[in-house]
Amino acid sequence: MTLKQVLLSTAAAGLLAMPAVAQDLDAMSAQELLPLAQEEGTVTVYSFTSRIAAVEAAFEARYPGIDLVGYDASSTEQIARLRAESAAGIASADVVYISDAPVVLSELLETGLIEAYVPPRMSDLLPKEFKSPLLAQRLSTKVLMYNEEANPDGAPVDNLWDLTRDEWSGRVVMVDPLQRGDYLDLMVEFVLRSEEMAAAYEAEFGVPVTLDPGVEKAGIQFITDLFANDIVLVSSTDDVNAAIGSMGQSNPPVGFTSYSDRRDNEDEGWALQVANDVTPSNGIIFPALLALAADAGHPAAARLAIDFLMGDDSETGGDGFAPFYVAGDYATRTDIVSHPDAVPLKDFSAWRIVPAATAEIRQDVADTILILQ
Amino acid sequence: MANMTPLAERLRYAIPQGLSLKIGVLLAVGALIAGPLLRILSETLAPQTIAAWSDVVLSPLSRNLLWVPLSNTLVLGIGVAGGCVLIGGFLAWLVVMTDVPFRRTIGLLATLPFMIPSFATALAWSSLFRNSRVGGQTGFLEALGLAVPDWLSWGMVPTFIVLTAHYYSLAFTVIAAALATVNSDLVEAAQMTGAKRGRIFAGIILPVALPAIVSGASLSFAGAVSNFAAPALLGLPVRMQTMATRLFGMIEIGQTARGYVIAILLIVVSAFFLWFGNKVISGRQSYATITGKGGRAKRFELGPVRLPLLAIGMTICALTTIVPVVVLIASSLAPSSSALFSNWTLHYWLGTSNPSIAHGQAGVLHNPFIVSATATTVSLGLVVAITGSILGLMVAFTLARYRTGLVSGVINQIAFLPLLVPGIAFGAAYIALFGAPIGPFPALYGTFTLLVIAGTAYLVPFSVQTGRAVIQQVSGDLEESARLTGAGFFRRLSAITMPLASRGLAAGAIIIFVKIMRDLSLVVLLFTPTTPVLSVLAYRYASEGFTQFANAITVVILVISIAATLLANRLQTKSQPWLKN
Repeated sequence: MTLKQVLLSTAAAGLLAMPAVAQDLDAMSAQELLPLAQEEGTVTVYSFTSRIAAVEAAFEARYPGIDLVGYDASSTEQIARLRAESAAGIASADVVYISDAPVVLSELLETGLIEAYVPPRMSDLLPKEFKSPLLAQRLSTKVLMYNEEANPDGAPVDNLWDLTRDEWSGRVVMVDPLQRGDYLDLMVEFVLRSEEMAAAYEAEFGVPVTLDPGVEKAGIQFITDLFANDIVLVSSTDDVNAAIGSMGQSNPPVGFTSYSDRRDNEDEGWALQVANDVTPSNGIIFPALLALAADAGHPAAARLAIDFLMGDDSETGGDGFAPFYVAGDYATRTDIVSHPDAVPLKDFSAWRIVPAATAEIRQDVADTILILQ
Repeated sequence: MANMTPLAERLRYAIPQGLSLKIGVLLAVGALIAGPLLRILSETLAPQTIAAWSDVVLSPLSRNLLWVPLSNTLVLGIGVAGGCVLIGGFLAWLVVMTDVPFRRTIGLLATLPFMIPSFATALAWSSLFRNSRVGGQTGFLEALGLAVPDWLSWGMVPTFIVLTAHYYSLAFTVIAAALATVNSDLVEAAQMTGAKRGRIFAGIILPVALPAIVSGASLSFAGAVSNFAAPALLGLPVRMQTMATRLFGMIEIGQTARGYVIAILLIVVSAFFLWFGNKVISGRQSYATITGKGGRAKRFELGPVRLPLLAIGMTICALTTIVPVVVLIASSLAPSSSALFSNWTLHYWLGTSNPSIAHGQAGVLHNPFIVSATATTVSLGLVVAITGSILGLMVAFTLARYRTGLVSGVINQIAFLPLLVPGIAFGAAYIALFGAPIGPFPALYGTFTLLVIAGTAYLVPFSVQTGRAVIQQVSGDLEESARLTGAGFFRRLSAITMPLASRGLAAGAIIIFVKIMRDLSLVVLLFTPTTPVLSVLAYRYASEGFTQFANAITVVILVISIAATLLANRLQTKSQPWLKN
């Protein structure tokens, strides 16, 4: 047999074995994936956060010989890209790390542009809701924050309906929910939790909530009142943070933003703090998802990268999870403890979104807000 | 072979004059511009998306989805066009026609605002005028104890001022190029026969400059109606929406069909306004005044108003160029965005990774992509400047020579369309059309070629408008004589039109280059991870809240843009008689 024939027959055998290999990959441990991944040599991760740069360094240190290419793009951009690449027949991404779960489920998972994958070692470490329909790596927030310098005794608000009172007119800040998906999800949650909102109204004002003509739910009434109370819309979370958090304000506003942005307090001269004791809740907590791109060119390395992003077995998740182990971000793994500077997850009052339920009424809520503006 | 010439000869006389040229140009702009836009249109007509039309136009949502944003957009567009022509025209007159001192400096400064991203100008505005409506740090004026009312801090007025400050340099560039071609013999003759300045202005200068004024106004109008950054930053806190912010929002929250409908309506309405404006202002006559001859006239002597006018011109330039640039540079050095002028550090430029600052991001000059991104961006700018100028010249030439007829009208309208389409929608359209293989052609998605094609198409309006202002004035007589003596189209183009129109074309090429350098919205969807461009790098930083890094990259873009302009100025010094005495 000549060398050429050997190569050809090996290649043919490889082709025949392909389907079996693809199925087996899902069941392989990281050690088993490693040699295959090293053969593939590279893995491209589309990520909605720039922290992928830190993951890249850690991954390449742990697994020399595999080049992780991190590409940082918003969820909207990732969806547009994956669609275009699929139409063009290009498989550029291997791993998709994305937020905006309500959109992702319908636009990417149902259309077959991404596939679910849960590393085998995670099966006992994650609650079911974080394994299906897609793997959730951590939880982010859009919650009520205040200026702790101006309010040394704690949050100035203890009920969401406080925000509709005159004293908060023009002093509640958030990003336009018609420009950012996660803020729209927050509005949707108020509507989904209408019963709790109604109870909270009664707790605040002592009488049952009265709905305006045409308004069907307490949550919609809350959004209506919030807009009627001159809520201030800005275009990015950093604008919200600066508005609420800047030091030296005598009468700072409150607003909805990411709890984890508190980590920038020192750099930016902010005094952001979360308002946790709020009736019925201070906002939403939602998953950051990890999935395989359909037809990933580097299937083994893709699985290895997802495995790495889920962290190691130490209490804080080790190098792979280190960029995400900050106050205000919560691991989905039950064995990684909450960051010491943060409110522990079990005491955190934010509502956990159910992406499928959110997706169902998302457009209707968006339309309602559109009319209110 | 022997039969070819007589056949070609026969064809040349059989076909109505210019028809083949017109058809060729129509096909080119049709494929490059109309194709992708029709693709967007067809997306909104699919059975599952057709409801978007009634949602936008005829439903309880229409008021906030369409009518209010539309009226804001039109008020801004018309106001900015007027403001830009006034300011740009005034500065152009000052630099080109008068004996005001520091003409060269004013001339250079007046071209800069367009290179400064409009978000930087908006940022500069709010660092001066911001009031306490949005909480946080207030602006400079409130810090001095002055109460700034909402209307001056947010909404229509500041957006109008910022956009005018951004786009007037377009009007300046175009009008200055046209003024420089005013036939000095005519002016001198008028001066000798004792005509007053006002009369010379109204009788000679204004008519010659009118095509350029219309061009400048059109460019500013279109820029203003499709601008996203300024209304997003300054309008949102008082809930002022424009079509561009609505379109962006709709795409961002996944309601793409509605977004496309808004884009289409924006195009239709703006196209109507531009057509109507052009008709009213310039429909009456055509101006062919230069024949490539004639020296420079004496400059207008300003006499006692020389210094006051210098002061006005310099103030405009300082407020619109120096202030935003200083804010931009300061914000790439200041650790806190709320205190721009304290604790400066070079970390965001040079620093190595430090876990306590910005999540361990190293300075921009350590970014492994910075070199390749710079190279890609510059080569893209150069290639598109060339391809765009060629296409623009063909279109401008066709329109100038054969200005009547249906085909010319259609070409004229199509060539202007991309200006009205926000870049992100144009990028989406290009992906939709060229993303998948078409017949024998492979999918272009993710290639440099697609970027060049999209960039060329997107910037056609700039090269056409600037080229046209000059080309219209290249006397048809010269061209006609050349044609009669048997010179072919390309020969006429290269021997007569090009040399005479070179200044306008060079100006157009610079604008294209600069626009590509800093354009984000068009490329953000078209580029693939492995080949980043500078504006995308800046955007990545900004979207993660690393403002200083984003601004540092923007400064890099600015430096390259200014260098390009200086180089181009030097190259064409010979053809800039207005700067000589």
